[in-house]
Amino acid sequence: MAEVEETLKRIQTHKGVIGTMVVNAEGIPIRTTLDNSTTVQYAGLLHQLTMKARSTVRDIDPQNDLTFLRIRSKKHEIMVAPDKEYLLIVIQNPCE
Amino acid sequence: MLLRTITSQPKSISFPGKVKATQTRGYFGANQSRMAVSRTAMILPDMKSAEKLNSPTSRTVTQVFDANGVDVTPRPLYRSDTHVGTAKPSKLLTSQEGSRGSDYISSYSFYQNTLNPSMLGQFTRSVLGSSTVSKSSVSTTESITEDLEEPSYKWERLASFTDLRVLRTIPGKILKEDLEKTIEIILTETETLRLFDLPTVMLSVESEEAEKVSQRNKNYEILCRNRLGNDLYVERMMQTINGAPKNKDVQCDRIIKEDKGIMSTAWDLYDSLNALELSSLPAKWPAADSRSRTNVAAKPREQRAPGSTTEKNSEASSLMDIENVILARIHDDEEDRSEAILKSDKFHQDLFFMERVLMENIFQPKLAAYRQLPVLKEPEPEEPKEFLQGKKVEEVEEEVKKEEEEEIEISAEQSTIPANLERLWSFSCDLTKGLNVSSLAWNKINSDLLVVGYGHFGFKEQKRGLACCWSIKNPTWPERIYQSPYGVTAVDFSIGSPNLLAVGYHNGTIAIYNVQSNSNVPVLDSSESPQKHLGPVWQLQWIEQDRGTTGDDKREILVSISADGRISKWVIRKGLDCHDLMRLKRTAASSNKKGGEKEKKGEALISRQAPGMCFAFHPKDTNIYLAGTEEGHIHKCSCSYNEQYLDTYRGHKGPVYRIAWNPFCHDVFLSCSADWGVAIWQQETLKPFLSFYPTTYVVYDVAWSPKSSYIFAAANESRVEIWDLYISTLDPLIVNVANPGIKFTTVLFAKQTDCLLVGDSDGQVAVYELRNMPTALDSGRGDIIDTLLGPKSHQPG
Repeated sequence: MAEVEETLKRIQTHKGVIGTMVVNAEGIPIRTTLDNSTTVQYAGLLHQLTMKARSTVRDIDPQNDLTFLRIRSKKHEIMVAPDKEYLLIVIQNPCE
Repeated sequence: MLLRTITSQPKSISFPGKVKATQTRGYFGANQSRMAVSRTAMILPDMKSAEKLNSPTSRTVTQVFDANGVDVTPRPLYRSDTHVGTAKPSKLLTSQEGSRGSDYISSYSFYQNTLNPSMLGQFTRSVLGSSTVSKSSVSTTESITEDLEEPSYKWERLASFTDLRVLRTIPGKILKEDLEKTIEIILTETETLRLFDLPTVMLSVESEEAEKVSQRNKNYEILCRNRLGNDLYVERMMQTINGAPKNKDVQCDRIIKEDKGIMSTAWDLYDSLNALELSSLPAKWPAADSRSRTNVAAKPREQRAPGSTTEKNSEASSLMDIENVILARIHDDEEDRSEAILKSDKFHQDLFFMERVLMENIFQPKLAAYRQLPVLKEPEPEEPKEFLQGKKVEEVEEEVKKEEEEEIEISAEQSTIPANLERLWSFSCDLTKGLNVSSLAWNKINSDLLVVGYGHFGFKEQKRGLACCWSIKNPTWPERIYQSPYGVTAVDFSIGSPNLLAVGYHNGTIAIYNVQSNSNVPVLDSSESPQKHLGPVWQLQWIEQDRGTTGDDKREILVSISADGRISKWVIRKGLDCHDLMRLKRTAASSNKKGGEKEKKGEALISRQAPGMCFAFHPKDTNIYLAGTEEGHIHKCSCSYNEQYLDTYRGHKGPVYRIAWNPFCHDVFLSCSADWGVAIWQQETLKPFLSFYPTTYVVYDVAWSPKSSYIFAAANESRVEIWDLYISTLDPLIVNVANPGIKFTTVLFAKQTDCLLVGDSDGQVAVYELRNMPTALDSGRGDIIDTLLGPKSHQPG
């Protein structure tokens, strides 16, 4: 468990990282560095997007599965590592 | 009523038609049906026999015969008894045979109802006459109303009133034995009952009637056609009676409807199918499944560990070197589930990926430069160009086309810039701060994995030691950390099993770690071995040696050289087994030819062995190797002789820190020493061929470039120099000065790329890119250096 905490902390302190969130399948944040409302908003929206992305990937080949999702926007990049039970979300601004 | 009193005399009755009595019914059935027949025979007026019986003569014996001469004399119906009652319609129906019987029965049952009152009436009339009659009437009523379930009983009673020749079996008391007796029940087939007959409307064309039928059809068609406008046919209307309709409403409970929709997707079908298959497996499998799923997830990770796979250039499926497993538990107040999530392996894996991805984002230009991909430039905010983050070569190529123009300009500029080292990034973290980098080694399979050994060289400066495995993909945190109280002085990855890492310590022990697992405990350790080294292990290398005569495959041995003067080979066979390849003896100084040979006997030698500092195996012939000692001598030795040197190269005056064979030209090797010098030797000559003394600092490390046989790098305390012998043998090509206070201690070339790794005394391993290196033609050919060295090879001595 200590390693997990350490890794999370390291991720958070990386250059350009705006926020790190771990939410469970219901959208309840387990660990987050942003405020609650933002976290819940991100969790809800990204959950739906992840479902859609996964559905797309698996429709093409049912033996495939989604492992990682990155959304690059003008301002920053949202990286989502989805799973059945949780979502790991990191928002980074890479071009500082 | 047709019924008359019937003579009580027995008559014989024979049956018309077919009768098949079921044996269960046995006599009863027969009787009953006979009775039935007889009765209906009595009732129906169209039977000849009935007429006869209608005669009031009750005493005459009448015999009835039907058309076939069969005796159908009805038996006496009326016994002043209750046959009527007893004749249960149900029983009769069940005992019927043949359609004829059924007709009679049905008619009988109809009359049944009407008979009884008349019977009663008759009984009552004759009540006065006989007590039996009344009794029978009573019994009649009783029997009528009674449940008609016990024919035997009835029959018995009736028998008392009549002398009907009734064939019956007296049932008697049912004994226990009877209950246990096996009763044979024989089932036979009844005659086929036709319930429904629908004649066919189709005939085969080949049947006999086909002709007639088709003729008829044609006639009909003609008829139909002729119907129209034909006088023979007149339309007429009829009114049918319309019954008054009646509406009937029924109210039922409200039907609650629910809409449910699902989108059927390919993966949904696949999942359901898999779920079916899984559920058909035995119950213990689901438990194993969940375990195996995590194991399967672990296995690909392990396979991708520096052991066995090749690297791919995409981050999601990126080569994961090693996995962090959760070791300790912390107590906190979170829910169990969220804890479980955080502890799960998958979460760990995801964190790992995420970190890599972040790294990639941050270091993208640097990593791209490292991998020799065109560096993507950030678009200006006004331009709506897409900014690619991935390192996939195809995507990059598209971008390259857009930026070609810019690049052409830049390259024109760059050609005037001299060769230089551009610093890309450095591997360092908090753990490694302040430690001295003592050795570097690449993994043999995974060219992204680097192991760095941290430990001080000098005896007095000994601090704790560290061996870290770094991955190019994450320059901020090492993948594996192996700590030890002693400084690490040598590291190397195995060739045959690339997950084995050998680490040599300042106290002489050698430990072997398995980098696939996360444990910090070495797999093997030589600290218990009686033949362990007594001095710091200055160099370790895994060598694949031919077994030669025995014809075995190449076997891998670990060769170590240490300050106790021994070169040993270690073999992994249940433990580390050690054999000495060579004991480095102190050699006498080169004999002065003048005045005879004088041996320096006066030297007070502490030990007869010279500490070894480095060795290098010949790239082609793994039997021959060179060993450098603290004395400054380089000995050429062979694995087959462990007593004597083959040759000794004298040229250095201080300890030789590194020897390296030229990767292309196998006659040439390079050495560096604490006497500030770097020397190039040729194998046959015992004196150095070229020597360089660029500075007054100790040269700690030299390495040949893997791309060109002319280029080598040297690290001395204050700077890193890149020499290109093709261009100049007097001056280095590139000089990179260190920050003050930091010494460069190790150099290592990256194999596929034009990069150089330099370790320094502050715990940092910096990655430099060699830019604008002059491209010499055929720089990889082995004989090139001979041409360079050719005219100089005739040196005295």
